[in-house]
Amino acid sequence: MQKDLETKFLSDFEQNQNIAHKICRLYTTNQDAHKDLFQEITIQLWKNYSKFRGDSKFSTWMYRVALNTAISLYRKSTRKVKTQDISEVEFKISSTNYDDTEERQLSALYKAVHKLNDIDKALIFLYLEDKPYKEISETLGISSVNARVKMNRAKEKLKNILNP
Amino acid sequence: MDLLDKYKKAWGNQPEENNKFSEVEIYKLAHSKSSSIVKWIFIVGLLELLFWSGINLVIPDSFYKVYDDLEISSFLNVFLVLHYIVIIFFLFLFYKNYKRISIIENTKKLIKNILRIRKTVKYYVFYNLATVFLISIVLNSVMFSDEDKLMQIMNPKNLAMDMSQIITITIISQIITLIIVLALLWLFYKLVYGILLNKLNKNYKELSKLDSTN
Repeated sequence: MQKDLETKFLSDFEQNQNIAHKICRLYTTNQDAHKDLFQEITIQLWKNYSKFRGDSKFSTWMYRVALNTAISLYRKSTRKVKTQDISEVEFKISSTNYDDTEERQLSALYKAVHKLNDIDKALIFLYLEDKPYKEISETLGISSVNARVKMNRAKEKLKNILNP
Repeated sequence: MDLLDKYKKAWGNQPEENNKFSEVEIYKLAHSKSSSIVKWIFIVGLLELLFWSGINLVIPDSFYKVYDDLEISSFLNVFLVLHYIVIIFFLFLFYKNYKRISIIENTKKLIKNILRIRKTVKYYVFYNLATVFLISIVLNSVMFSDEDKLMQIMNPKNLAMDMSQIITITIISQIITLIIVLALLWLFYKLVYGILLNKLNKNYKELSKLDSTN
């Protein structure tokens, strides 16, 4: 029973790990911190996996656990994260068969999102991932109306950073 | 909203992470237990050292008088120094094991490390039990080698007693004490390190299974 659960978890997570990597890129700015956060997300996912009943998709559940882990970790070490070098992020994005303007946009986007606070980051991330408001509100544990209001504010902030 | 839409498109088109983790690596991340178990082996070893040296400090000097009478105090002191050197060497090994296992490597290396740690702990326990056994053999042979001195110590008031009877009783009680002490020590190690090693073994088995399926 436990074994099957574990095998399933490993394959589910292996396939969906890009979600966690994206969150790590948004919340951290160097490889070490990225890996630390990724490990913390992995531990939290595995710890909570037995409670995951499969009434939502694995990825949906993963967004929630991973984002909450990132937010709580980010809160604990706000200062440390903020003082890290932003430019390193660009190294993480490979440029194989990739449009140059989009690459620059992506790099600017990461830089801008790094300046947002932990909750705004999560909101913008879910917006970028094209999640419906219902899922956003469930993921962050806020009401749908609240999610809309907060999202609009976060978007405004992001736009101001991108286009001052 | 079209400003953000552009960025959203760029976001959607971003390539997947280069440094993806394999299932085995994810397993290790989720079970960072191995390294924390090894850390506990080190901490327990350290606490044990403190405990035994603490006990030595608490025991009153009068307790050691018997060793003075037997004229083996200096031998015991040399032995204790050697013993602590060996223990500290073991602690150093435990610490090195912990440092080594904290760095994530491939499964094969992790498995090898776990085996090495098991071996170190086994040697450590064996060394401790063997030392207790040997030192009591040495102490007893010194004690019984000189009957007059033994009599002086065991029977300082020189009461009229059967010599051979006293020696028999002493030998028997010494053997029983030795067995009890060894059993207690063995139980202690079995409990403390056994639990830690069992957990490590479980990780090891799962890792081997994962490794063979990949």
